[in-house]
Order: sequence, then structure tokens, then C-alpha cells
Amino acid sequence: MNNETDCDILLLLEGTYPYIKGGVSSWVHQIVSGLPHWRFGGVFIGSRRQDYAEIQYQLPANFVTLSEHYLFDETPGSTPLRPPRLPADAQASYVRLHESLRRGESGAFDPEALLEPGSALREAAFLHGDAAWRYITQCYETGASEPSFLDYFWTVRNLHKPLWTLAEAARTLPRTRLLFSPSTGYAGLLGVFGAQRQECPLVLMEHGIYTKERRIDLMNADWIADTRNPLLRDPTEVSHLREMWVRFFEALGRQAYARADPIVSLFGKARQQQIHDGADPQRTRIIPNGVDVAGLRALRRPTQDAPPAVIGLLGRVVPIKDIKTFIRAAHRLRERLPEAQAWIIGPEDEDPEYSRECHDLARALDLGDALQFLGFQRIHDILPKIGVLVLSSISEGLPLSVLEGFSAGLPSVTTDVGACSELIYGREGDAADRALGAAGAVVGLADHEALAERCAELLEDQAHYAAAVRAATARVERYYDRPTMLDTFDALFAQKLTTPTEETR
Amino acid sequence: MAGIGFELRRLSRSDSYLGQLRAYFYAGIVGSGPWVLSILAILVLGVMSLGVVVPAQLISQFQTSVTWLIALSLIYSGGVQLLYTRYVADRLFEHRSEEVLPNLFGIVLLTTLPLFLLSIPLALWLLPGTTPAYRLLMVVALSQLNMVWILTVLLSGLKQYKWLLVLYFLGYGGAVALGLALGRAGLGMEGLLLAFVLGQAVIAVGSLALVWREYPPQRLIGFDFLRRGRLKLWLLPTGLLFNAGVWVDKFLFWLWPSTGHAVIGTLHASVIYDTPVFLAYFTIIPGMAVFLLRMEVDFVLGYDRYYDAVREGGALSSIRHYREQMVVTARAGIYDILKTQGFTLLGLMALGPSLLGFFGIPTLYFPLLVIDAVGVSLQLLVMAGLNILFYLDRLRTAAAMTALMFVGNLALTLVTLNLGPFYFGYGFVVAMLISAVAILLTCNRILDRLNYTTFMLR
Repeated sequence: MNNETDCDILLLLEGTYPYIKGGVSSWVHQIVSGLPHWRFGGVFIGSRRQDYAEIQYQLPANFVTLSEHYLFDETPGSTPLRPPRLPADAQASYVRLHESLRRGESGAFDPEALLEPGSALREAAFLHGDAAWRYITQCYETGASEPSFLDYFWTVRNLHKPLWTLAEAARTLPRTRLLFSPSTGYAGLLGVFGAQRQECPLVLMEHGIYTKERRIDLMNADWIADTRNPLLRDPTEVSHLREMWVRFFEALGRQAYARADPIVSLFGKARQQQIHDGADPQRTRIIPNGVDVAGLRALRRPTQDAPPAVIGLLGRVVPIKDIKTFIRAAHRLRERLPEAQAWIIGPEDEDPEYSRECHDLARALDLGDALQFLGFQRIHDILPKIGVLVLSSISEGLPLSVLEGFSAGLPSVTTDVGACSELIYGREGDAADRALGAAGAVVGLADHEALAERCAELLEDQAHYAAAVRAATARVERYYDRPTMLDTFDALFAQKLTTPTEETR
Repeated sequence: MAGIGFELRRLSRSDSYLGQLRAYFYAGIVGSGPWVLSILAILVLGVMSLGVVVPAQLISQFQTSVTWLIALSLIYSGGVQLLYTRYVADRLFEHRSEEVLPNLFGIVLLTTLPLFLLSIPLALWLLPGTTPAYRLLMVVALSQLNMVWILTVLLSGLKQYKWLLVLYFLGYGGAVALGLALGRAGLGMEGLLLAFVLGQAVIAVGSLALVWREYPPQRLIGFDFLRRGRLKLWLLPTGLLFNAGVWVDKFLFWLWPSTGHAVIGTLHASVIYDTPVFLAYFTIIPGMAVFLLRMEVDFVLGYDRYYDAVREGGALSSIRHYREQMVVTARAGIYDILKTQGFTLLGLMALGPSLLGFFGIPTLYFPLLVIDAVGVSLQLLVMAGLNILFYLDRLRTAAAMTALMFVGNLALTLVTLNLGPFYFGYGFVVAMLISAVAILLTCNRILDRLNYTTFMLR
């Protein structure tokens, strides 16, 4: 162990561990607890301090340092401002920066320049300088299609504001031997800044595809003003301001890709997306999530038992999970199997309006007791009562619920999102994996009829069901067991920490 | 005078010449301010009392006393006038008119009480050889004027100027009539001053009744204006320095040994300076009318459009367009003031001597009257510039400009006093010229950079 540093591996945690519970947070917790011989540190990046409650996890003993940065904390209003002094080429340096960001050049940002007192890129210069004003108005005139200048102006400001917080955060980052960012975005950028400052390697991992998730968020965000006249607006045309946010996060993503090695993803499609977004294929690597197969094995039913005629969906009641398609499928399934039950297992408090719509739909389809909203349940209690695990999401990464279902001996019927088809049919190009067979079925997005048909086929045909269970358990044991994942990361860390850093880019 | 604009706009929108004329008439009278009216009243009182009240020396003592009262009270209340007008404008903008009256009482109490306490030793010290009754009336009148100024700015702010005119007419008309009567009854100096105090009382009580009717209060007295962030404190030095800057040359002429002399107690007057400079203030009336209509109506309209475009999400091109429009209205307003004052000055030069003769004022005063009239016109430009700065919330700049005006008038008047009678009046004119040029250049620069500062420096 190197005592000159505060930790061995510094995790850059944007809106996750240890303040927010969720997939990435549990993953982080597993890694830290599972690799006790490494000293981990964490830097939490949040929006505003008041958006977060207490620490949600019992921090493992080898989690040795935690610091926090908030990107959108209100700064107290300052006294009347004076125009800042600027270098003569201030405007040119804005143009240069944005052009190199657009091209995704490595090191487009110099974190030092963002903080240097005389620099045109420092906060006061960009927020209050007249060169920045000329640049912003020029960009508005050449690029923006929307009438509201005020909204454009504030979007530009809000886009840029976190940069200085991150540059400052990078300056005060704990000393570390390796930076690990489980997402691109702001955390990824902090990783780039930190790696530049501390001259240490940066490992990037993406659980979802950050830019894509942001894009979905932004399309639905109502806090981004769309002031176009409703009569003149072309609804298919994305609001320019949203597009600016998307482009911004894409640029952040490219910065992280340009610096990080390796660029880890969870499954094949995600890797393809990373390459499409600018990642160097040579540096990409797939390390899937692992689940506690051993702990769930006990839940498996004897193969001769007929499965209960119950389809279950494990997940929050939110639009991205497309609960409505599941409800329609339940209706369809009951036409074939009148005794079939459909359960929605997950909290309903995140999007109450959507939740209400789902209940309304269930009533309209007259499902009665055949459809139940069970709320949050422990998987150990609920998995044994289910026949087929269903996932109707419109977007997913590597869904742990499916893997947990596999571990407990449940086949799955899923929509064709994220890693689902790899989980059900085996990874493409991996003959051994494909040879394990189909652990259920994959259907198209929102295709409730196919979803119901595939479930019915599994529930009605015991031999078919048993084959699917065999494929599911074999696949999860071979490829998605947690110890395997921990070993892989342990080896990765060891390799990054022993080879002399050779950041040539 | 934020609120006055609306009513004027309504008046000026009437398409008839008569309507236009009426708008200009009101604007001129209201804008030229109560102190022009009160000086007019003093002059009238003096002229009419002539031959009735003996000796004539008494009249000049009375005029000097009242002039000092007006000067001191205006300087004292100048800052508070601006402060309170702005406070009321902000509250009315928030639709919280019930706060107007309690805070009026609060501010009147807070300013009048120290003034009253301060004026007692002053009366004892500065007015040797006068009767106790005279001193008492002076003390009362000073505090009273402070209240009347605050009420008057409030009423002009609340568009009540028709009633304001009626009140001033009643107050000063009554004072003149009563003064004559008391003079006949042999009450002399004290009689005139009592008439003045009673006239002021009519104005004060009447104004209060008008405010009460307009904004019935829910409580009697309030000091909410003292709450942090409510007061634009930079208005305090601005109002003080503006009024001090307007009066400093007069004080210097009064107190300078070769140009002034003690008239009553230690109150001085200047025989050669006072009459022309006060007469010169009457030439401000047409320009003031234009100033109010152009600046308070047209400029404010442009100002509103600009900030609406900024706030309501206008395109950059329309924000730029409205900024230019605002500059155009400001420029047009200043040109119109210049034109109007130019014509007024020409008229003064042509008709001045015969007018002076008609009123029995020595034509000896004519050259100085013309010089002062130029100075007064320039002072109007300074006021136009200050108005723009107030609207753009550049209160510190406004304070700096009034400081320039005060220091300039002080220094240059001292220079002219040293140079001799040939140069009298030029100190005031040059000080106003420098201030006017400085403030208009500043406004120009601020308006040029307005888009940048609005977005980037807030």
C-alpha cells in the first residue's frame, strides 16, 4: 500500500452512492465491500445539498475518505458586479474551447485554465465578461432557432456553471493512485480533470449509457423552457435548448472516453453504443454485473413441479418500465389462461400520476384480482411464488432483476432492450453461451400480445419451461456470478495500479 | 415621479390640441415643482403687500426668511423625498398600496422630529434680535415644509396633481390674503409669517386627506421602509447633493461679504443675485413640461417595452430593437428639452426687458437673468439625465453625478465671486454645463452597454 496517497481507488459518484439507493449504488457497495484489500475513497457530486438526505449505506471500513461537491448550490447574491479584466484574445479562446469540445479532442479542457486568475475561461470572466457576452450573442444568432433569448442565455450559463465547481473539486481531490468513474457526465469530467492533475489512470464504467439516459430525461424535462409558439412549433423538432443540453453531455462523454482506459460497459450493445459515441474500440471492455447466485439458489423449485401461473414484474412503477404494456399483456394472457395472475412488484411513489394511470388502465380492462400491485417486496419472499419474470421496459442496461430471477430458477420474457437478448439467448459470437439455450423469450417494445403469448407458452408447456430454467441457471452461474465479477475488477485494479502509468494521450 | 407618467400618457393621448395643451399645462406646473410655486407665492406676496405693509423692509425680511426656510427644508428633505418616492413606487408595483400611508407617517415622524429639535437651537442662535413669536413661527414653518415636500412628491407620484394644484392655490392664495389682512391689522412680520404657516397647514392637511382617501391605511404608523433591502440608500446622498447643488451658489452669494448682507437675524440675502435667479426658475416651466411628457411618458414606455422583451423571453433581435428605441426616446426627449428651452430663452431675450418693466423690476437685472436662465435650462438636462439613471437603477452613478454638480457649483461660484461682478452667474452656468455633459455622456455609455450589463452584470 502506498501511504503517500489518501486512497488507492477514488470513486467519482454522481448522484449515487452513498446518498442515493439504486442499481449503481448497490454495485459500488458490492465492489467496495467485496475487495477489502483496496482502500477506496469517494467524491460525491450532487445537484444541491438539500436534495439529499442521510448516507444510505453502512460504509465499509476500507472506504476511507468521502468528500462532496454540489454543482447547483445557490451562491449568495453578490454586490453589484464589475466587468472583469480579460485577455485580448478572450473571445477567440471561447471559440477554440467549444470547437475542440465539439471534436471531442482529448484534453480540450484545461482545469488549470478554468481557475487561473487572468484566464478568459475563469468563472467571472465567462459569466460577466463582455467577450463572453459577444460570443454568446453570436452563437445565439448563428445557431439558435428559438425566440427566447433569456432562456437561451440561462441555459448557456447553467451548462457552464458546473465546470468551475468541477475544476475546483479536481484541485482539492484526495490524492489517489487510480480514478474510477461509474458514469460519464459530470463525474466523468471530474475524472478527466483529476487524472490530468494527479497524472493517474482513469477507469470509466457505464452502467447505463449516461448520454442516452440524459437524452431521455431531457426530452421529458419540463424545466427546460420551450417558448416556441405552439402553433408555429414543429412537434417533431427537438427544442433547441434541449438539444444544447444533449450536445453538452455528449461532449462531456467524449472527454471522458478520450482519457479513460479501459472504458467498461456491462454488455455488448452498450459497448457498441460507446464506440458509436466516440470511444476507442481498443480500450472498451465488457464486465457484466454479478448477482448473488449462491444466496438465491435455495429458492429454485424442483424441476418436476409445475410453475405457478403467475407472471411478475419487478420494478418501480414509472414510465420507463412501461407498466402499461405489462397490464395489457396480463389482460391478453387471461384470455388464454383464465386462472393466470399478474403481479407488479415495486414502489409506486416515484411517479404518482403514472401510477394512477396504471390503476385506471387495470380497472378499464376489468382485470380485478388477476392483476395486483404488491408494492415493495423482498425478492426471497416473492420470487418463489412467480412462474415467469417479465420485463416490459422501454430502456434498460443489464437488468439485475432478470439475473436474480435466473438465479432463483425463473425464466424471463423481456422486451428487446439493453442486455436482455444477451441474457435470454446468450451473447452473440459466444458459441458456448449461445449453446446454453434460451432462458425465456424476447419480444418487441410495447408488444403486449407477443409478451402474453410467450408467457403462456412457458406456463403451459412444462418441458419448454424446464429447458428455459436450465438455460437460465446455467447462464447466470457461468457468466453473472458476483465472485466472478469481483475477481475481474480485482485483477483490473491490480493491473492498473502496478503498471507504471503511461498516459500518452 | 414614477406614477405621474400614466395619467399624463392618458391626457396626451387625447387627440385634440386642447387635450395636448392641457397635458403640457399640467406637466409644466406639476413638474416645475412646488418650490417654483412657493417662490412665485412669495414674490406675489411681496408685490401685493407693497404699500400696505409698512415698512417695505419688512417684506424683504419676510422673503428672505421664507427663502431660507425653503432652501434648508429642500436640502434636508431632498434625500428622503427620493427615497420615499421610490419606496412608494416599489410598493405600488407589488400592489401593496396599504403600506403607503403608515410608512408616510413613519417617515415624516422620523425626519421631522430631529429637524424640529435641531431647529430650536438654530433659531436661538441664528436669529438674534428677532421676537420669540418670529422664532417660533420659523421653527414651525421649517418642520412643516419638510412634511409638505414629502407629501407633495407623494401626491405627484400618485397622479393627484389636479388636486395638488388646487391645494397650492388655496394655501398660497389664502396666505397672501391673510398676510394682507394681518398686515393691515398691524401684525407686521409675524403676521406675514403666520399667514404663510397657516397656508402651509392647509396644503399639508389637504394633501394628507387626499392620500388617506386614495390609500386608506390599516394601521396608523409603520416603519417597514427601514427593513433591509427596502431602501435604496444611494438615493439619500443623491437627493441631498442635488438640492445642495442647486442652492449652493445662492448661499455663497448671500454669505459673500460684497454680494450679500444680513436681512434679519443672521439670515442673508443678495440684492444683485436673488431676483434674477429666482425669476430665471420660471423659464424652466415649458422645458419641464416637455421633460415630463418626453421622459416620464415616452422614455418610460420604451423602458417598459425593453424590460418586457428581456423578461418575457423576447428574441435577441427584439431586445436589441427595444434598447435602440429606448435610446431614441431618450435622445428625442433631450432634444425637445433643448429646443423648448432655446425658444424660451429667445422669448426671454426679446420680451424680457419689457416684462421686467411691466412688473416694476429694474431692468438692471436683465443680463444676469439671461445667464441664470441658461443655467436653469442646463439644470433641467441634469434632471433628465438623473431620471434616466434612476430608471436604470444606476443609483450610485446618480449620486456621483449630483456630487459633481454640487462640487462644481460650489467651486466655480467661488471662482466667479473672486473674479468680480462681470462674471456673476457664470459659475452656476458652467457647473450645470459640466454636470449636464457628464451625466448625458454617462447615460449614453450606460445605454450603449445596457444589453451586456442587463444580462452579464446582474
